Amino acid sequence: MTAPSGPAPAGVPAVRCRSLGVSFGAVRALHDVSLELAPGRIHALVGQNGAGKTTLAKVLGGLQVPDAGDVRIAGRDIPPGDVRAAKAAGLAMVHQHFSLPPSFTVAEALELTAARPGGRAVYRRGDLQRRWQEDVAEIGGTAALSTRIRDLPVEARQSLEIVRALATEARLLLLDEPTALLTPVAIDSLFERLRSLRDGGVTILVVLHKLREVAAVADTVSVLRDGELVLGPAEMSEVSQGRLSDAIVGPGGHADSAVGVRAAAHESTETLLELAGTSSSESAFEPGLTAVDLRVEAGEIVGIAGVEGNGQRSLVSVIAGLTPVTEGTVRIGGDEVTAAAPARRRLRGLRLVPFDRNAEGISRSAPLWLNQSALRLLGRRRGRSPLISLRQYKRQASEAMDLWRVRYDTATQPAESLSGGNVQRLILSRELADGVEVLVAAQPTRGLDFAATEFVRRSLRGLREAGAGVLLVSSDLDELFELSDRLLVMYGGRIVAEFDGPYDRRAVGDAMTGAVR
Amino acid sequence: MTSGLRRAVWTVVLVVVSFLITALILRVSGYSVGDVFSGIIQGAITATGASTSSIRWAIPLLLIALGVVVGFRAGFFNIGGQGQFYMGACSALAISLGWREGPAGLVILCGTLAAMLAGVLWSLFPGWLRVRFGTDEVLTTLMMSFIGALVLQYLTAGPMRNPQGTGQTAASERIPEAFRLTGGSGVSLTVLLLVAGVTVLVWLVLERTRFGLTMTLVGRNATMARWQGINVRRVGLGAFALSGALAGLAGAVELYGPAARLVTGFSPEVGFTAVVVALVGLLNVWGTVVAAIFFGGLQAAILFLPIVTDLPPPALVLLHGMVAFLVTIKFRAVRRRRAAQTEATAG
Ligand SMILES: Nc1ncnc2c1ncn2[C@@H]1O[C@H](COP(=O)(O)OP(=O)(O)OP(=O)(O)O)[C@@H](O)[C@H]1O
Ligand SMILES: [Mg+2]
Repeated sequence: MTAPSGPAPAGVPAVRCRSLGVSFGAVRALHDVSLELAPGRIHALVGQNGAGKTTLAKVLGGLQVPDAGDVRIAGRDIPPGDVRAAKAAGLAMVHQHFSLPPSFTVAEALELTAARPGGRAVYRRGDLQRRWQEDVAEIGGTAALSTRIRDLPVEARQSLEIVRALATEARLLLLDEPTALLTPVAIDSLFERLRSLRDGGVTILVVLHKLREVAAVADTVSVLRDGELVLGPAEMSEVSQGRLSDAIVGPGGHADSAVGVRAAAHESTETLLELAGTSSSESAFEPGLTAVDLRVEAGEIVGIAGVEGNGQRSLVSVIAGLTPVTEGTVRIGGDEVTAAAPARRRLRGLRLVPFDRNAEGISRSAPLWLNQSALRLLGRRRGRSPLISLRQYKRQASEAMDLWRVRYDTATQPAESLSGGNVQRLILSRELADGVEVLVAAQPTRGLDFAATEFVRRSLRGLREAGAGVLLVSSDLDELFELSDRLLVMYGGRIVAEFDGPYDRRAVGDAMTGAVR
Repeated sequence: MTSGLRRAVWTVVLVVVSFLITALILRVSGYSVGDVFSGIIQGAITATGASTSSIRWAIPLLLIALGVVVGFRAGFFNIGGQGQFYMGACSALAISLGWREGPAGLVILCGTLAAMLAGVLWSLFPGWLRVRFGTDEVLTTLMMSFIGALVLQYLTAGPMRNPQGTGQTAASERIPEAFRLTGGSGVSLTVLLLVAGVTVLVWLVLERTRFGLTMTLVGRNATMARWQGINVRRVGLGAFALSGALAGLAGAVELYGPAARLVTGFSPEVGFTAVVVALVGLLNVWGTVVAAIFFGGLQAAILFLPIVTDLPPPALVLLHGMVAFLVTIKFRAVRRRRAAQTEATAG
């Protein structure tokens, strides 16, 4: 597994594929896609959730055998589904779904999977860690090299995937939504790295959702819609934002109607969620909560800002009832639930969008309808037949998924076959279906295309209008500023500041770094 | 082809391959393959009483294997069916011998319930260790199984030994004839109806109740289930209990059916074969029914063969082993899923 020496001869495209086609049942993930990527440039690939971006990346990397078409990398023919040949031609990939072995330590996993030149067969632990220290630090990673992958939060895993790909001396780098989980600072430093790699002759194909990011880093852009290449690769200087977004959504695509969110009716001044002096013990990567006071009233969106890892995860987990409270109380809808089981909180109207959608939000191997129906399994139904109607479950699930425009083939397919953004839609279709009193949403628009992002934001406002309470945890300040009625800043497990709109970006930023205490 | 159908076809292919390999080994060892296989057909189907004998063996296999299916649905591998089966049989025996004059129906009912309860207790202990401390239930259910075999040995050699008994193996007294649901053949309409009813019930619970769906979610991804408000520990315990109850029930059916008394180490393989039955049945209720009938036939053939060939009985256990081996290789995916499960439920 050696990287080929020197750049490909001038004039040979870094990637050339012809008439690629991939179908999953009735879903056409790719249709007649032909693409040439010039070497030594940064190419962006954009498109709605389920447009086929990940599928295209996988075909190029040899991870998905196409039904039709062929692939050439740096002038070499890559036999369909031949991962080794793709690697030998100089390709490295950053996956949208993490692929590092969970039971390995960070250093071990990197050494084993990165195929970095100059490796030895046997290592002393210290040497191995030293070998990777710099790479991890460079991308702004905070992960200790001796931690096991499975104990890392999703954000840290994402940055390791990037570290791994950058460490190989690849000539062609595919990055599938690398920015989805990164902080703005980490995104900047990633882009910086990409530019310097490009200047060194590396060709980069990066899947992005935010047009702002596309404009910031890409030289050319290509658009996939419903499996077809509808634009590009076009020079960034030659496409306007408007043309780009039209290409992404297609004709008539903008008419995405607001979702009919149903929330329980409320007196408008009720406190729906209240933490009073709540503390919890720390976990592996997060400080616990320290004396957190927080209220979410009916008809209110409260934002939680903060740099990742300052207790946001603990906060969500405490409200969900999965992390025990050491001091203080938690109330939902006026009832004290400090010691109550998660089920009771759910039945009381708590809805959750957890941080790690693939591990916490869905069951990857379970069918879509079961994932969608999970909340219907809670609680007792007195006087009803113990037998349920699967047909009814499946119908309700399909209806909710259709409402949220989840792109799927049949309700019985496993959740892992959904594209990344569609997984998020599936989760939202479940959590926002019925009887929402309080929604605790952690990064709800992460990985969504911009139409879906708008859709989610509209839905959150819809919830507020319907009298529910929303606690929005996000690392996207623009999103927080746009949606929040009040903004709280977490630092080191405490709420260190509270702001009312209009927000002062500098003041919020200072609070996030712990400058105001 | 749907993935379910594909897996079924694969399994059949593997079973056929096991037969071929076994045939080859027999051939090399100098036996007549033709004789052996015609012996198997006779012993399982065509000889007088052969098909009854096949069904007789399919019954305990099916009940215990259903228990394995239930456990697996929630992500657990209860391979201790043998011990739960023994404890069930012992409890039913204790009730039946202790209350000989009781009305038959009532005694059988109480004995059966006691058997199920014993099965529950025998599997709930490893289950509790699993959900509380994350102890690997493959080990603990197996260990509990050995303990169960020793308890049976102690009871049949000690407190429950038939004082009039001759013979070399320790055995209990017989239960009164009035308590028996079948003759010596082990098959009667009552028992068949009972087993069919239980099978349908298990299917309903797994596929058509909220508890069954909850088990599936927990078995697939316990972390997600917890975020959804599901009490993962309680569901796990429920699965273990149901699983043990089925194995215990098998013990009662054995006692009130063909056995009528308990002999040290009776049916020593049935609990373990049942695990293979469940795997060959693709951990699905109807698949397990088919697999149980198949392995019941094989069991009947194993007992029959020495009569018509010079083959020593262990030679056919080879066939069992071969099927188990090949099917288990295919099930490495099972272990992978289990690993994820351990991670999610411990702690
Ligand atoms: N293994 C599979 N089985 C069935 N359908 C699949 C499978 N993999 C992908 N699909 C479908 O193919 C389509 C394209 O998926 P893909 O993952 O390429 O989308 P994407 O553009 O990466 O979307 P996102 O922005 O949400 O990540 C989707 O509709 C998805 O549901
Ligand atoms: Mg994708």
